[in-house]
Amino acid sequence: MADAPDVPWSRRQRACHECDQVLGDAVAPPGNKLECPRCNATLHRNPRGSVNHTAALSLTGLLLFFPSLSLPLLSFSILAFGAENTLLNGVRALFAEGYLWMAGLVLFCSVIAPLAKFLLLGFISLGCHWRLLDRPVTWSVRWYQHLKEWGMLDVYMLGLLVALIKMSDLGKMQVEPGLYSFVAMMVISNLTTLSFDQQAVWSRLERRRKRAPGPSPGEGPLVGSGEQL
Amino acid sequence: MSTMDRALSQGRTCCLSCHWLVTLPRGGGGCRCPRCGGKVHGRIEGSVMLTWALTITGALLLIPANILPVMTVVYLGSGEPATIIGGVMQLYTAGLWGIALIVFIASIAVPVMKLVGLVLLLLQVQGRLPINPSQAMTTYRIVSAIGRWSLLDLFMISILVALVDMGAVASVAAGPGATAFASVVVITMLAVRCFDPRLVWDTYYGNPYRNAGPDHRAPAAAGSRRGEKSDPIIKEPPEEGVAGDV
Repeated sequence: MADAPDVPWSRRQRACHECDQVLGDAVAPPGNKLECPRCNATLHRNPRGSVNHTAALSLTGLLLFFPSLSLPLLSFSILAFGAENTLLNGVRALFAEGYLWMAGLVLFCSVIAPLAKFLLLGFISLGCHWRLLDRPVTWSVRWYQHLKEWGMLDVYMLGLLVALIKMSDLGKMQVEPGLYSFVAMMVISNLTTLSFDQQAVWSRLERRRKRAPGPSPGEGPLVGSGEQL
Repeated sequence: MSTMDRALSQGRTCCLSCHWLVTLPRGGGGCRCPRCGGKVHGRIEGSVMLTWALTITGALLLIPANILPVMTVVYLGSGEPATIIGGVMQLYTAGLWGIALIVFIASIAVPVMKLVGLVLLLLQVQGRLPINPSQAMTTYRIVSAIGRWSLLDLFMISILVALVDMGAVASVAAGPGATAFASVVVITMLAVRCFDPRLVWDTYYGNPYRNAGPDHRAPAAAGSRRGEKSDPIIKEPPEEGVAGDV
């Protein structure tokens, strides 16, 4: 490795994103994952049929969003009084009490980020079939990486469970149809995250560029150093 | 394993959003990733300083988050504000120790563990702790995986506020502690994002630039420039494109 700079600049290399170890650009076989030999970071996970599965799952998730948002999740009643909880209800109640920051955070993590994740993944996995959409797809993959950890449907689910048990000795707590759709949406959301492999999208874009050479307005240089900021 | 095995000592680095190996511009500084258009730096800029700042902010906010009440449950006219620990104790005395444990882990243990983990990592990077890098990486992975679960308490409050709203009979109101707690969670999540785990390995193996000759410090000068020209896939960067879209 002493003469590293004399090695021709090769596309067939990668660096571990957690320890910066230079490695060959191997791709995990379908259904497997690739780990960094030094720090055990997952370099690449290759789920089978990534692009198609992601498209199907994210569309399912989007469809499930409508009942989850509009139907009540839980209902609570003491004597003749009763109230229902929907996804947006809690946000509205916090907002009305003046807790803007909390209301915003709950709205973002339980509605906006999961919705955006489904929309972005659906767009990426369907849009990467068209050359025209290369640039928006690139942009979406990048934003998906930033948004990924803020979608917290599973945490919200646990919150629902805790609320359900905590209040059950105060009054009558009931599970409403919206909860079933919400659970389904949460499961689909996690499956979508698992089935998405950005490497599959990149190699799809790359193959297309190789087939049709010549720069198009939506294309930057594939390799080489980027421009200085 | 030596300095040379690291991409940065060859003037290259991994794009953190698409994992493409990017050649950094000569003379240092960052650039845009040619593949995904994300900002790329050799290491996250000001990582240690930013992480310290956010960690300290989070630790300070943890005080109001635990002292001030997060939630008030009023049932038939009686009820007083409860702090996070108070809520856990209420669950425990009601016999729901399983739920009490979940809430305890999510809203007390996780934030504290996250802050302790971040401080350990930062001290390790600054060369003051004899932790081996793989232990540090385990810490980093745990800290980044558990962070989001602290929002559990916040979601529960938002659910209860909407659900238990019957005036004098029963009602739940959020308290100012919840705002502080929400800030702790968000700030520590951001702190983990700011921390660059590659610094752990830099501390262990030494400065990636240290053993490098002048060519390595200006990677685009002689060697890699020649390499780039000999690569058939290289196109001259166009005037406008993904890479130029700053």
